[in-house]
Amino acid sequence: MIFLSISAPSGSRLLRSGFLLPAILVAIVAILVVAPLLRILFTTLTPEGIAAWKAVLVSPLSTNLWWRPLLNTMILGFSVASGCLLIGGFLAWLVVLTDVPGRRFLGLMASLPYMIPSFAAALAWGTLFRNSRLGGSAGFFETSGLAIPDWLAWGLIPTAIVLIAHYYSLAYTIIAAALSSVGADLVEAGQMAGAKRPRIFFGIILPVVTPALIAAASLTFAGAVANFAAPALLGLPVRMQTLSTRLFGMIETGQNERGFVLALLLIAVSALFLWLSDRIVSGRKAFITVTGKGGRTKRFPLGAWRWPLFAVAVVIGLLTTVLPVLVLAASSLAPQSGALFSNWTLHFWIGEGGGEMAQGQAGIFRNPVLIDAIWNTIRLGLVVAFTTMLLGLALAYTIVQRRGSLLATVLSQLAFLPLLVPSIAFAAAYIALFGAPIGPLPSLYGTFALLVIAASAHNLPFAVQSGRSVLGQISADIEESARLTGAGLIRRLFAIIFPLVIRGLFAGAILVFVKMVRDLSLVVLLFTATSPVLSMVAYRYAAEGFMQFANAITLVILVVCLAASFVAHSLQNRVQKWKAQ
Amino acid sequence: MLKRLSNAALAACFVLPSMAVASDLDGLTPQQLLPLAQKEGSVTVFSLSSRIAKIEKAFEEAYPGIDLIGLDMSSTKQIARVEAEQQAGVHAVDVLYIADTPVVFTKLLEGKRIVNYVPPRVANELEDRYKGPLLTQRLSTKVLMYNEKAFPDGSPVTNLWQLTQPEWQGRVLMVDPSQRGELLDLLTEIALHPDEMAAAYKAHFGKDIEVEGELQGAGEQYIKDLFANDLILVPNSDVLNKSVGDVNAKNPPVGFGTYSDRRDNEKEGWALQIANNVEPANGILFPAVLTVADKAPHPAAARLLIDFMFGDDTPSGGAGFEPFNVPGDYATRKTIAHHPDSVKLGDLKAWTIDPAKTAAARGRIADLIITLQ
Repeated sequence: MIFLSISAPSGSRLLRSGFLLPAILVAIVAILVVAPLLRILFTTLTPEGIAAWKAVLVSPLSTNLWWRPLLNTMILGFSVASGCLLIGGFLAWLVVLTDVPGRRFLGLMASLPYMIPSFAAALAWGTLFRNSRLGGSAGFFETSGLAIPDWLAWGLIPTAIVLIAHYYSLAYTIIAAALSSVGADLVEAGQMAGAKRPRIFFGIILPVVTPALIAAASLTFAGAVANFAAPALLGLPVRMQTLSTRLFGMIETGQNERGFVLALLLIAVSALFLWLSDRIVSGRKAFITVTGKGGRTKRFPLGAWRWPLFAVAVVIGLLTTVLPVLVLAASSLAPQSGALFSNWTLHFWIGEGGGEMAQGQAGIFRNPVLIDAIWNTIRLGLVVAFTTMLLGLALAYTIVQRRGSLLATVLSQLAFLPLLVPSIAFAAAYIALFGAPIGPLPSLYGTFALLVIAASAHNLPFAVQSGRSVLGQISADIEESARLTGAGLIRRLFAIIFPLVIRGLFAGAILVFVKMVRDLSLVVLLFTATSPVLSMVAYRYAAEGFMQFANAITLVILVVCLAASFVAHSLQNRVQKWKAQ
Repeated sequence: MLKRLSNAALAACFVLPSMAVASDLDGLTPQQLLPLAQKEGSVTVFSLSSRIAKIEKAFEEAYPGIDLIGLDMSSTKQIARVEAEQQAGVHAVDVLYIADTPVVFTKLLEGKRIVNYVPPRVANELEDRYKGPLLTQRLSTKVLMYNEKAFPDGSPVTNLWQLTQPEWQGRVLMVDPSQRGELLDLLTEIALHPDEMAAAYKAHFGKDIEVEGELQGAGEQYIKDLFANDLILVPNSDVLNKSVGDVNAKNPPVGFGTYSDRRDNEKEGWALQIANNVEPANGILFPAVLTVADKAPHPAAARLLIDFMFGDDTPSGGAGFEPFNVPGDYATRKTIAHHPDSVKLGDLKAWTIDPAKTAAARGRIADLIITLQ
């Protein structure tokens, strides 16, 4: 170390001392995450806020306002996280580590559901399982004479199933990225030592991808507890409230303080679970698998199981990808939302305006703002994905390097929280904090920069979690040798770490991109330009009661997301040339 | 730094006089406002309805030289954004076109974040209750709707208390009032009319109502009984309309919905109809208001736009109002004719909410509903 600092130019000495980066990161996280959270906390410390704390925690209301929604939320969170790990993990193993046929196709199908908004899966569920409780037309099964009990049509069980169908692809994306870095040498070493397949799986592969499993579990857990559409559509008819529906309702009916209290409590509970899972990971030895040499992946022959397992994967894909997309597509073609599969027309896509259809509105491809909106959306998604990943990588790097230290624990906790802060509260806090000029810095109000900063902070968890799960596997040896040859931090980052973790990075970037492209609340509060993004166009149509147009836009968003993931995929293959098959 | 200071001083020179002028602007006619507005050059409006796009076109044609920037967002988001902006000292929006008036009243008007403005041109054509505390442009509804195909002889419900009886158990739908302000306002309004609810109870059951100890009045008792009779909550009006209105339904439920959704009957295959002949009322009329933001950067253009959105003297209201003139919604301006197919405003058996009163009573009802779930 002394030798290094003598030979190094003084400018980078600080960098090498390993102090500057964490300090900068702490400052950034403090500004981006802690400040808005504190602001939300402070609004609950006013007299109304204190009353809200009391109403939520100790009052006749608290059972229905906090405890029962909390119970529902936690059941949902845990069942969705475990379901996602099972299905996502199974598919990731199948696609990455076996010789199952049609691996690319399966991989594509498994990465799709997250790009389809969760309400589509909920609608698909309703199309099949809706029973007579609400009146109106029944679902597919009831019309074919099969009585569907309330517990299967409404409430916790369908909500959990729909959320698993939506979020497992998130788990798949992260686990697949980690699995692909399990080098063949490890597995071959195991085989040479005579280990049987289960032994290799439980003794080598599973421990190695544990960080990825934890990351996937945390993100799917957070996604499930924060999701609004599915519990609202499937839970409310049997009066099932979750914290997210309660929270939304409180803010929507002007009781913001109560909403914020619920959000803070939800954050606290989730942070507790995250801390526990962090303990599990940091309590055991770190497994270092990416050593720079054996970058190949070893594929297990499945033998007679090749086709049956392929069939299972295809069925999962059909149910969770094809079905919701079909429902979406049908609802963008059917003039009546009650009869999805009759009288299809392309009017809502390409029809000319002025006729009887849709009160004279033209199809979306004749909407002059559409092309503008598509470009705005892509630009926003790309910029946010880039800044988020940059910040996320730096954070993940620090957290992994200092595994077990207080700093790492605090940073990883803080970087996880934004996912649970309701967008509307997050955006409002950002306007209030950065709308006014701070010292010499100008007001950021109405700038694209503010939107990017807020969005980066809000999506940070994806970047940090996916970065961590891959970074955690990189051997310190490589970095150490680079350091000894005099490579600076930046050089090491770009020449070594970046290429090795690119798959994980892109996995995270895609998640951020998708989230950003679909997120409405954050955008609508911080966006001031008149040329909108796609989610705003969709909202505009939906607000006027034209779900067909809105669903057509949702499909356009899906295509944009898909295209982005194709580009990411081909880029990562280019960087990781040694993986070329 | 010096430059910033001088900029600020310069800005103050412009802002201070214009603030003094702002209150005088209230008395000006559109013709007098126009040159001032053209000097301001643009006007920004947050709108609850995306039909603001049509207003943009019409306004810019009528008053060239003033760029209308319309951002459509829900009332909740408008309130959140205006609060946050003004806390940061940002005054970027001029006009709010917004519903959710009880919340607007407490959060924005009482907090002096908005100011009420009544265009002198139409002041004489509005009832006093529509001129303050907030200027009402039109009224929307949350009223009892039924399926006219399944019940061809008219509404199966003629008294609200019927909905608390076994016949309607699990067959009354409502968008969850703990999720949507308008439905909370509806229940609050019922609670604010205890005497009428008690009279309707007597008319229906033939005896006086007994109100349980912790409840206040017949209205709150009604809310409790309604929930106890398996009132079904749904997440949005789309789900509600589909369930209540489906033309093929054999024994459809009824629901508290929006009268103007009836205009989509043909398009969607619904048979929605308003149950108007209901004791003591079938629901509420609630206002959509137009208001000027505090320290609006374009005060004259803001007032000109509000004036414009009350339409011209023709029965349709002309380009400034027409986009909002749908059957089942009601213009407050007397010269604008209501749609011939819909019940006249005077004949509609709905209570009109008073934002201030509703705001005061709403918290208690919100709490009551939470305990009933």
